[in-house]
Amino acid sequence: MTEEDIRGLFREMREDSVPADSMARVRMRITERTATWRRWKRAALVIAPLCLLVLAVALWRPMSPRIVLPPVLPVRVEPAVMRPEPPPAQVVRRKQVARRRPPEQPVLIRIETPDPDVVILLVGN
Amino acid sequence: MHASAVIVGTARVASAPFETIVRRREAQVMRIAFRILGNWADAEDVAQETFLRLHRHGTGFRDEAALGSWLYRVTVNLCFDRTRVAKPVAEMPELRAAGISAESSVIRDQAKEKLMAALATLPARERAAVVLREIEGLTTAEVAEVLGSSEVTVRSQISKALGRLRGILHREEI
Repeated sequence: MTEEDIRGLFREMREDSVPADSMARVRMRITERTATWRRWKRAALVIAPLCLLVLAVALWRPMSPRIVLPPVLPVRVEPAVMRPEPPPAQVVRRKQVARRRPPEQPVLIRIETPDPDVVILLVGN
Repeated sequence: MHASAVIVGTARVASAPFETIVRRREAQVMRIAFRILGNWADAEDVAQETFLRLHRHGTGFRDEAALGSWLYRVTVNLCFDRTRVAKPVAEMPELRAAGISAESSVIRDQAKEKLMAALATLPARERAAVVLREIEGLTTAEVAEVLGSSEVTVRSQISKALGRLRGILHREEI
């Protein structure tokens, strides 16, 4: 069989028909599956708004009621009574405590002379 | 209708109802699946899955060519998935060409049966390339697009496949 024969057979196969029962089975299965899908879709379309509604009701808080104030009545203002001032509180003076200073060290000045045996030491308070 | 004519066709049914598309395309999808897989049971499953995917995807395609290309791609990929699991069984074709006399029909059918059996021995990608190019009549560019490969690769696959088929059929004749 040559390549042309093979190509010719392939070309003939293009016109071949598919078994009707196979096509019917496929169509039936597709219809079933898509019908199920459609049912779910329809159910979702009904359930989704309901869920949203329930959620909205659950989250909704009524506004706080407005507080109505009673009418303001005129009040008679009485003159203020002068009260004696309370005596000033006694000021407690603290006794100043002298700060302790550290004992002063005597100042020592050492003067060296050219003569190594003679050193002058000055001690001052 | 010639398949390439469908693919290159005009924007006739870009958003046709799902049922209309199924009715118009089911034979084509099943034929491709059967040629690649070699048995009707698997071809039915693939056709069903292809159309369910189309249902989920939606039918709003740019034009008829885009729809055709999408269907070919999904069908072939689903066939590849199946061939990875099980080797194709060369079930003898029940397809019958119309308008041929009984005698010649029997001879042609025998030849086709042999050809189908030989086709089933080819690697999946080569088989798909041959089915799309030689049986479905797509152009090399269209086949390359469906298979996700280059035109050079497709040409090489078809050439190799035809050589192998010739070899197998020649051995059978001897």
